[in-house]
Amino acid sequence: MNRRIALLSFAITLGLGVLTACGMVSTEKSFAAVHPQELGAGRPSCSVCHEDELKGSGKTYAAFNHSSTFVKDHKVQAGQDANVCATCHSQSFCADCHAGKTVMKPSTKLGGRPDRATPHPGNYLTMHRIEGKIDPSSCFKCHGRANNDKCTSCHR
Amino acid sequence: MTQRTNVVLLAALITATAGAQDVNVYGTTMAQMWKQDVPGFDKTSYAPATQFLGIDATKLGTEALSLHLFGWGRVDLGEATSMGKKSDGNLTYGYLQYRFAEANAEIKAGRFAINQGAGMEQVDGISARTDLKHGFVVSFFAGKPVIYKSQDPADQRNYEFQHDVIFGGRVGWRLSRMGEVGVSYLQDGSTAAKDLPIASIVDYSRRQVGADIHFVPIAAIDFTGRTIWDVAHHAEPLSGTAPSRIAEHDYTMLVKIAPLFSMTGDFTERNFQAYYAGTNMPSLFRPDERGKHRGYGGKILLGSAASLLVTADFRSTNRDSFGEANRFGGDVRWTGMDSKLQAGFGAHRVTTQNVLKVDRQVPSYSLSHREIRAWVMYETGRYSASLDGIHQSFDDQHNPNLNGKKAQSELVASLGARLTPSVKVSGDLTYGDNPFFKKDVRALLRAEYRFSLARKGGK
Repeated sequence: MNRRIALLSFAITLGLGVLTACGMVSTEKSFAAVHPQELGAGRPSCSVCHEDELKGSGKTYAAFNHSSTFVKDHKVQAGQDANVCATCHSQSFCADCHAGKTVMKPSTKLGGRPDRATPHPGNYLTMHRIEGKIDPSSCFKCHGRANNDKCTSCHR
Repeated sequence: MTQRTNVVLLAALITATAGAQDVNVYGTTMAQMWKQDVPGFDKTSYAPATQFLGIDATKLGTEALSLHLFGWGRVDLGEATSMGKKSDGNLTYGYLQYRFAEANAEIKAGRFAINQGAGMEQVDGISARTDLKHGFVVSFFAGKPVIYKSQDPADQRNYEFQHDVIFGGRVGWRLSRMGEVGVSYLQDGSTAAKDLPIASIVDYSRRQVGADIHFVPIAAIDFTGRTIWDVAHHAEPLSGTAPSRIAEHDYTMLVKIAPLFSMTGDFTERNFQAYYAGTNMPSLFRPDERGKHRGYGGKILLGSAASLLVTADFRSTNRDSFGEANRFGGDVRWTGMDSKLQAGFGAHRVTTQNVLKVDRQVPSYSLSHREIRAWVMYETGRYSASLDGIHQSFDDQHNPNLNGKKAQSELVASLGARLTPSVKVSGDLTYGDNPFFKKDVRALLRAEYRFSLARKGGK
């Protein structure tokens, strides 16, 4: 009996919670699913065409300019505004570097695209023994919990 | 999830594309070949064939519903390229997405990557997000973490046992023209290591709280960063003080001084025990390592990525147990001829003279080195060509990892032709001189294609 009352209370609370949450949902239009115009080659600067705020994001378009700082370190923007990224990039673009299990390093997959600034150019087997000692935490981001099939052949 | 369930799920998802109004199929087929001649070992030939394939099917009965699939498979036509396996593959993601017309609300179900403050994960499950009134944003996800089979059987059993569930969420708040702040929670696994059938000192589970910020008070300032705390229960240390529970501080500030002149500064701190929580490779990322890594740096950027960009950078890092390293140098990047021609040049120096001791088992050696990289890429609508070279020279050839070499280089030459608007073929030839091989020559052939099967009619 007590269990039934507890379940009923939980269901009513959940239902009221959902109804309240629905009332709190923003009525703003969603960001465009696809950028209406095809962009040219090279790193885009959103602020060249858009001067104002990307409505609903709290940020100006300039905050999404693909500067070299943005290209190297975009984790916060990707975490907060993945649907802005999705306007131009399909998830496979992210997976070029950020897949949980990959078959080859990004600089090999994109060998004809040196402009993409992919990680680990050249013979990284040598360099990882130097850079890994200087800062092993930089390896951990991609290889600490996934994408480490090859690492385990030596690091057992 | 079992192999059979994966196959059934994948077949069901692919079948679902039959009802789509727009289907985009894209893929890359790659054939690689190289021979390996390592002193003391037999000569070996490798010839892996790799297929990447993606499908984006939109308007599945309704404008808002879409399906996204991407994965790869590899077959070795020569020697096995990974330990004892002549074939391999992975479904990187495969999910149904319902995208609402308002509030940037969306629901995903299937296998997807999640990036919500604390943690970037691959999940088999469900996720949802929406904007709320007054600038609030909420998102959550729950499911089973994608399991990677990279450990020996006993450790793999423990890892899989502990990885029974993953869930998390984030609440953010946005203020117009100011930016966004958020707090997030992530829990990976419901069973701690002490609750395993045979208690283990390695804990594959993890509980983290994150805080993130993107602050843009004026157009000239852009501040991003995050802090992540390890909030899992850990046994008190037998001696000494407990290490910091802050897994990571990572902050970057960009200041635009003039339209073509900006500066950035960044600060990172990672406390290894907290940061390495949940690793599936504890032999390398040791969860009992008490030290921390701290780094700070800066860049001066002059010019524009659309034409000429000159960058000077400096970064100093310090790892408690090994010492300090400094990296400094510069890059030039040029784009011209209506973006058909791009080129880059960079030179960097890494000094590690203050490194205390790089390996407990062998005498100390220097990690200092220089790096030069130059590349050029030309791309017209029909043809493409690129050259990409990198050279590293090392101060201390007594470093046992260099096999007596003072330097290493690699040059990649690539040529490509677009046969039709949807099909491009290209080939890369790589020549390398490095401490591992007498001669390192590799060839790669690549075919990329993208087909759009948009139906007429519909809406």
